[in-house]
Amino acid sequence: MLKFHSVSKRFDDGTQALSTINLDIPKGQFCVLLGPSGAGKSTLLYMANGLVTSTTGQVEIDGKMLNRTNIKSIRQTVGMVHQQFNLTPRLSVAMNVLSGALPFVSYLRAAVMWYPRALRERACNLLAEVGLAPEHLSRRVSELSGGQQQRVGIARAFMLEPRLLLADEPVASLDPRVSREIMALLRDEAKRRGTTVVCSLHQPELAVEFADRIIALKGGKLVFDGSPDELVAAGLDGIYQLDAPKPTPANPALHVAPQILEALA
Amino acid sequence: MKSSSHNLPKISPDWQLTQPWTAKHLFIGIALLAVLAFTGSRLEMPRMFKEIGEALGYSVGLTEKSPVAAGLARIGNSLFPIQIAEVTEVSRIENFDRNNLPLFARIEIQETKTAHLNHETLQMETGIEKKEMLVAPLGYLKTVLVKMGETLEIALWATVLAILLSIPLAYYAASNYSPNKLTYFLARSSISLLRSVPELITALFLVLAFGFGPIAGVLALALHAAGFLGKFYAEDIENADRKPQQSLEAIGAGKLKTLWYGVLPQVIPQYVAYNLYILDRNVRMATVIGLVGAGGIGQELKGRFDMFHFSHVGTILVVIFITVLLLDQFSARTRKKLL
Repeated sequence: MLKFHSVSKRFDDGTQALSTINLDIPKGQFCVLLGPSGAGKSTLLYMANGLVTSTTGQVEIDGKMLNRTNIKSIRQTVGMVHQQFNLTPRLSVAMNVLSGALPFVSYLRAAVMWYPRALRERACNLLAEVGLAPEHLSRRVSELSGGQQQRVGIARAFMLEPRLLLADEPVASLDPRVSREIMALLRDEAKRRGTTVVCSLHQPELAVEFADRIIALKGGKLVFDGSPDELVAAGLDGIYQLDAPKPTPANPALHVAPQILEALA
Repeated sequence: MKSSSHNLPKISPDWQLTQPWTAKHLFIGIALLAVLAFTGSRLEMPRMFKEIGEALGYSVGLTEKSPVAAGLARIGNSLFPIQIAEVTEVSRIENFDRNNLPLFARIEIQETKTAHLNHETLQMETGIEKKEMLVAPLGYLKTVLVKMGETLEIALWATVLAILLSIPLAYYAASNYSPNKLTYFLARSSISLLRSVPELITALFLVLAFGFGPIAGVLALALHAAGFLGKFYAEDIENADRKPQQSLEAIGAGKLKTLWYGVLPQVIPQYVAYNLYILDRNVRMATVIGLVGAGGIGQELKGRFDMFHFSHVGTILVVIFITVLLLDQFSARTRKKLL
């Protein structure tokens, strides 16, 4: 479904964000890119729909190599969920969700915001599935809570009926309880439709709970690729604790992960 | 008493909180004052302050005489009371029907003393000449209001045309949407050109092209306002939050749809504010460009001014003032509703 052929990325300022990554993500897999910030998760994720172009190597989606000419048509089959939700603040919930289907709508319809019935029904179904109520439809997204906004973001991403869904730290700006709800929602929606998901996360406990497969990155290199069980067995030392400061009693966040892993195992 | 700061651990000397003002700021302040002093003396600013002071003193009885106060009083006396009625000599009205007067109108006899030479006695004789005048009590106010209506129409059309013209200009003048450097440069320079030519000058030329009347006025105002709106629209597009736009680019929505859904909803309140400001400005400017024959109330104003009918000028000024006041209320309310 999604293949990275020895992709690497060096930014203009000289930082090597990714070095020679080879990956093959099969259809329907819920795949988590795990790693601390600056590991290259987002860079790899953005390469999948060409928001970042690789310095070397190629990206293949459904047997097609991503290039300048097909990038627009490929993007129209790839949904995306963002860390900051990236909804349009003054637009209603309904319009934000409908805007997810913009590639399929004529310019005239888009301009007058007059969507065909099928799309309007799809939007309503999706909003109901993600747990919003009819009274939310006409509300501005800025009036919603963070969790609700990300639900709208997920509904918008599925408007495309995407074959591939990219989620860039979808729960990084949400509190832990809401984070788990959103991850569960994302996984359920994707599984129901057989959508392939690549989701970047920095919380190992969420990765272990929801992923089919975990790909861990560190410093732009692939350091782990396997199932959650294998990750638990291998431990997180390679990803988090090598050059991170040692956990101290004053900084329990740094060793909260292994405890949770034990509890889950 | 021991200061509590002694108990704090020593921190690195890198921590230094400087004062917000430095000698540099003081120097800039002094330089600015020097520039003001220099230009002020060239522009006779001291005389202005002196004479304003004199006039204020005169108004409260502190100063003996003030030429400024006297001049202002003269203007005030000629503008007020303002002319509201329309007085026309009956004999000058064609097909005058005495039994069917206009609404509220009445006929007054005006007596004027005349002096003429008696050819036989070679003496000056005074006589009284009676003229019948038709007085329409609100006649002149009505004339002015009709002209003001025309001015508002000019301003409205100028605003609509300016908005239509500035939308494509803004698209090409926004660096993140313009297709390439050349279109960006062309759009930016046309915006600057449009803005740099004053309406009054444009109107002068357009009157030559289109003749006297509102067309020249509407076009002159629209062109200038398009330059203004194009610049501000474009800058708002550039400064809009990138995040919603990114999410639409990521699904291949295309530039125009991204602009419509990712940018426009964000900038609409500012756009409405700009448009209302332009409408307000166009109303005020439409009164001015009438002076060069581009239609509206300005034409009436100029005519009355040239004929020294200052009480009529007073009426016109009062009507303009009230209109601008009402418009201000209207735009404040509209803005509040839309935000």
